[in-house]
Amino acid sequence: MTKHTEQWASRLGVILAVAGSAVGLGNFLRFPGQAAANGGGAFLIPYFCALLLLGIPIGWCEWTMGRYGGLKGFHSAPAILGVIGKGRVARYLGVIGVLIPLCVYFYYVFIESWCLGYCIKFLTGGIGIDVGAPIAEQAKASGDFYTSYTGQTGDGALFDGTHSVLWFWLITIALNTWFVYRGLSKGIEAFCKWAMPAMAVCAVVVLIRVLTLGTPDANFPERNVVNGLGFMWNPDFGALWNPQTWMAAAGQIFFSLSVGFGVIINYASYLRRRDDVVLSGLTASATNELFEVGFGGMITLPAAFIFLGASMTIGGTFGLGFNTLPIVFAHMPLGNVVAAVWFFMLFLAAITSSLSMLQPVKAFFSEALGVSNAGATVITTAISLVGCGFVMWFSGGGVALGTIDDWVGTFLIVVLAAVQVICFAWVFGARRGLAEAHRGAQMRIPGFIRFILLFVAPAYLLFTIGWFCVKTLPGWWSAATANTVAVMSLGLVGAVVLLLVICTAIGEKRWRAEGLDLDGREGLPDEEEGSVRR
Amino acid sequence: MTTLGWISLLGSVGFVVGLTAWCYKRVLTLPPEDA
Repeated sequence: MTKHTEQWASRLGVILAVAGSAVGLGNFLRFPGQAAANGGGAFLIPYFCALLLLGIPIGWCEWTMGRYGGLKGFHSAPAILGVIGKGRVARYLGVIGVLIPLCVYFYYVFIESWCLGYCIKFLTGGIGIDVGAPIAEQAKASGDFYTSYTGQTGDGALFDGTHSVLWFWLITIALNTWFVYRGLSKGIEAFCKWAMPAMAVCAVVVLIRVLTLGTPDANFPERNVVNGLGFMWNPDFGALWNPQTWMAAAGQIFFSLSVGFGVIINYASYLRRRDDVVLSGLTASATNELFEVGFGGMITLPAAFIFLGASMTIGGTFGLGFNTLPIVFAHMPLGNVVAAVWFFMLFLAAITSSLSMLQPVKAFFSEALGVSNAGATVITTAISLVGCGFVMWFSGGGVALGTIDDWVGTFLIVVLAAVQVICFAWVFGARRGLAEAHRGAQMRIPGFIRFILLFVAPAYLLFTIGWFCVKTLPGWWSAATANTVAVMSLGLVGAVVLLLVICTAIGEKRWRAEGLDLDGREGLPDEEEGSVRR
Repeated sequence: MTTLGWISLLGSVGFVVGLTAWCYKRVLTLPPEDA
């Protein structure tokens, strides 16, 4: 077996890397839309309940499982879940923990290149919005630019030789590959230790600009900063009686914290035996919340409201980010500079996330096939280029991207989280798991979290999966089977699953031949000695 | 912006800023890690 000597260089480094993985476009673009559509300020009540009762506890599970698996010599989700879940079923379900980061990377890195491309566009004059034209024409200009720039006009449109986004995509791919090849501490950790503070500085710059806008258009005195904040934060407590609000809040926490993604379990596997996971996990989650609530909740919707009013401020993640906000920046004093800073910040948020998608995949191929760091990087890059190429060629209407995002980036995340929580609480044992979490911990996990992990989290996750299967999946399936590109996209995902299963089978034989405890039959030598440091 | 809006805004942002500051204060004042 290839010996994995990679390790984090510092505890701050691993915290910033996990936080960087969690902070992404959704913090700035999805959260505000969800909050405004589900009760405004009242949405934060179920949101914080979900954070404290689901997000942070499940995150602690992943940190603990990752470190435990790493001590057994494993760094990939299939191998680690095989140890925690004590056998083959959990090991093969763990394949989802490699499938998700790999398939999401197929399209995420493309979106990442849009951010870089928009940043450069605004630095060099903007995207051609005429602020003197009627607002409908500005919206059309912004929408047309976005549709053309991202190749949604038709399949193969990006490859007609006129699309600069291809160059930004190549730069983005090269950066990701380089940092992952450099390794954990010299690549990912070193980059995140620079990128996370830089992201915070960019966010503060944009926040100050938004909060000092006053009333920019005297013809619309009601469109001012205070009312913009009110549009986002005024609570509608009636929304709390709607179960959908609570589901939306839990869903937002889930996707935002990167739990069930296969990333934390991999990152934590490089920790040492007595490295803290409890305070580190909480700090990474808190950092994510600072970006989401503190910046995402104060910038995006208030800025859109101030210039465009309430009618144009709600849109999906991409609609808000790449259609609406460019119009807002076009109207804003110093708008091109602020827009460049904003899209550069989104680019940093995206690349710290995409790096965290490549590392678990690289670790998997390295330990399953026994190849070197360079070999695993080449395999990972080759597969991701095929997937990225597919998503970019079939860019018409964003069908390929949307299909993979729905089935893998949305549904399977909940499935993997359920597998992880059940393995941790019911197979490995909640009491044993929490004792393991407390090994070297800098703070104590409250006692009621055991009850949460045993009953509340699995019930919520299984209910969500059931709800999805009954309410959502039939619609997705009908839409997918009616569209050739969607069918091909699911075929691509199926081919990746097959490849990962074969590699897991190869790895299983190798690990067994090497005498590794791949079914978790033996505890660690001092497993009963877990204690909280004071 | 209503009074409850201000309470929601300041309470939420205050909570995440406070939690983040408390966490980083703990992390950054820990003794150096063992080699």
